[in-house]
Amino acid sequence: MHDPGARGVAGRDVSTTVEYADGDDASAFAQMLGGLVEANVSSRPEKRRDLDNLKARVGFFVTDIGEAVTLDFEGGHLVVRNGLQPGRDVTIRADADTVMQLSNVRIGFAGMPNYLDATGREVVAKMLKGQLRIEGLVGNLTTLNQVTRLFSVAE
Amino acid sequence: MAVAAFSPEWAQAFKDEINNSPVYRVAGQGWKWTVGLVVEAEPDRNFPESRGVVMDLHEGEARDIRVGPPEDAQACDFVITGTYTRWKQVATKELDATRGMLQGKLKLKGDLPTVVRYTKASQEMTECTTRVPVEWPDET
Repeated sequence: MHDPGARGVAGRDVSTTVEYADGDDASAFAQMLGGLVEANVSSRPEKRRDLDNLKARVGFFVTDIGEAVTLDFEGGHLVVRNGLQPGRDVTIRADADTVMQLSNVRIGFAGMPNYLDATGREVVAKMLKGQLRIEGLVGNLTTLNQVTRLFSVAE
Repeated sequence: MAVAAFSPEWAQAFKDEINNSPVYRVAGQGWKWTVGLVVEAEPDRNFPESRGVVMDLHEGEARDIRVGPPEDAQACDFVITGTYTRWKQVATKELDATRGMLQGKLKLKGDLPTVVRYTKASQEMTECTTRVPVEWPDET
């Protein structure tokens, strides 16, 4: 999958921004999410600020392929782990297409995700149909918005 | 008429399918990079040598698609690598390319945000491959 970056010591993959706790055993999905954050942060200063300000444990579970990843945002540093780890603030469960679609949500006024355009409406419709489930949403809306901004590739 | 898998005739038919797709024409707007598909050899499936598919895609149009050595495909801006069996699964709708990449069955090299931004275009390209009638070497 995407090149996760420089190899660190003790079997852990380390880059300045993203670390893979499972080292060479990081799953393709883990490398994809980590790679996406790393690429976004390195090219967009506003996303770097989001990463710097974000402290949360976020899980992703891709329902149709059974792949899961936990992202530990540690204020400027991201540790990516295979599987769902305990103590998550937010967990997003969706099929692969929806996970990709989430990354295409545009960021609108005041840095808020735009759920009113075509892509945003499709995401909302999937939530209403139960095809996209977000656990821990109550109390973590700011975290979710920050994560959405970090993953958004929409221009 | 069916064409041999990953042959020059297949490349031409694939190109025609892409250029006949109104969905791709819209979804591919803005795309201006080359894409290489590396089809890794599987001698036990009667696919003895790896091949490369070089796709020159530009603004919703396939300007050129050709089959050659894998090195040509590896030199493209974006490279997707998989075994013959994986690509056959994609072309026969057994494996969705997005899921394949998330599962590591297909390996992607290139700028991830750009690829994710064009998910719809890549999905339609996959649809185009499924519309090309193919003679598979492990079935002949």
